[in-house]
Amino acid sequence: MNQDFIKLLAAWALFHESADEGWKSAVARGQAQQPGSMGDGPEAFVQGLAALVDEEKEKLKTRLAGEGDSVEAAPGPDLSERLDTLAFELRELRGCVESLQASVDGLAARRDE
Amino acid sequence: MAWPRVAMNEARGRRGRQLFIAGLKCALRIAWKTRFGLMPGHRRRCTIAREVRLLCERLGPAFIKLGQLASVRPDVFAPETIFELEQLQDRVGAVSVGAIQTVLKQELGAEVDALLDDFEDEAVAAGSVAQVHRARLARAYRPVTGPELPAGTPVAIKVLRPGIKALIATDLAIARRWAGRLNRWRRLARWRPAALMEEFSAMLERELDLRNEGRTADRFARDFAADPYVIVPRVVWRHSTRRVLVSEFVEGWRLNELGQAERAGINARRLAAHGAEVFMRQILVLGYFHADLHPANLLVTPKGQLCFLDFGIVGRTSPTQREAIAQVLVGLVYGDADRALRYSRELGLVVPAEREQGVRRETEVLVRRHLLEPGRADVRGFALGFLSMLADQRITIPAGYGLLVKALVTVEGVSHAIYPDLDLIKSAKPFATGLIAAQLMQPDRLRRRLPEAGRRALEALLA
Repeated sequence: MNQDFIKLLAAWALFHESADEGWKSAVARGQAQQPGSMGDGPEAFVQGLAALVDEEKEKLKTRLAGEGDSVEAAPGPDLSERLDTLAFELRELRGCVESLQASVDGLAARRDE
Repeated sequence: MAWPRVAMNEARGRRGRQLFIAGLKCALRIAWKTRFGLMPGHRRRCTIAREVRLLCERLGPAFIKLGQLASVRPDVFAPETIFELEQLQDRVGAVSVGAIQTVLKQELGAEVDALLDDFEDEAVAAGSVAQVHRARLARAYRPVTGPELPAGTPVAIKVLRPGIKALIATDLAIARRWAGRLNRWRRLARWRPAALMEEFSAMLERELDLRNEGRTADRFARDFAADPYVIVPRVVWRHSTRRVLVSEFVEGWRLNELGQAERAGINARRLAAHGAEVFMRQILVLGYFHADLHPANLLVTPKGQLCFLDFGIVGRTSPTQREAIAQVLVGLVYGDADRALRYSRELGLVVPAEREQGVRRETEVLVRRHLLEPGRADVRGFALGFLSMLADQRITIPAGYGLLVKALVTVEGVSHAIYPDLDLIKSAKPFATGLIAAQLMQPDRLRRRLPEAGRRALEALLA
């Protein structure tokens, strides 16, 4: 019984190892694809998808590692995005003010004529 | 004080009579050419559409603009009309440089030479509403997006033609009156002429304030800042007002000028596929899109980038619309007419039960004939056939739905102008698939669907 259980675990480990190797080769083939080749057929699509998922996994790993170092040193993507949006809105406002100033200059010059 | 009002009313009356006579002549020509309406459906609609386009061109700026706005509403007008109105020519002679310099001085409070260097007297483009001159920045400027524009940077100065606002206001007032009268006709009431006219007037008035165009350009530049193949001229707000828009001058070829020699220097195939993807991203991801996209409003730069110009008309899509449009798109690119029709319901397309079978069969035929033809998909042919079929079946086309079909045709037109042999359906497949995958992976959606998926998996295991 004990031996059977070990065999079952060995089969499980072998299954995992083969799946892992299959996955790694799919990722490699997907990474070697030209842009736009995902539509060439089901296999090309799966390989392309594997490469995309792997890329996302690496990004996630990097982000999680960064979060572990220090929260203050590496603000989350949400915070950076909000900061970026606010900075853009501020620059938009500056643009509005500059345009209004140009209109005021135009009106003032017409009044003085 | 009363005199100018009397004069204005007289001028309006004169213009009203002028427009009425032009409209009457057009109606008579249509009656004659369509054999008093006895001509068969498609040919009759094509003839009417052509005459309406010529009438808009004859009536001037307000009607040209109204026609352009109508061309993005396939939910209201027949497909033959919208495709004909797309071709409205907005090219007129330039106004004298003196008149343009007067507007610039009124708007900016100084002579143009005191603000900008090397102002060119000859206009680089002249439309019925505005014209464009070239100059150089006298001082460096930091735009809303991207790095600083150094002194000497070439700029495009877009200026509204003098008197255009008053002319358009007069024509719109007359058109509103006519629309009110047409509203009383029962046959025309389903198009809601008065409400439509109000909507178009509001859009046109918005377009006459060039700052709106500048703001959209800034937002677009920001949303595509990471895309190396997209470029948007940045606005110089210091010299921009309601009637003047100064922005970076980008050198390039308009799509309608792109010949073999120009295509040879760039990767035209990749650029065409990318252009299609950029447009789909606007509609399906960002929720706003350049709604006046035609070959004259897009440049290809010598570096092989796409430059978007003229953001006067902007369309918007809601999150629900975007989700359903993506599903319909997937249905179309994979030739799954059933899926396309199923999700069309979420965009408001109501097909009565007794006609469902027929509509599905005809859609399948159209998809096979126009979209799955190996080598060359014909989206325009599909759109024309599909919209005509819905019109023949008297099925109301909802606004969001018409928008999708029209957008696909625009994407195809633009892509083919860059690379005529591009198979749009093949290029759209990866984008559409990625979009659906992204929709499925949304945490909210996953949370909603996981319990159901788990239940089904358990049922399958137990079975």
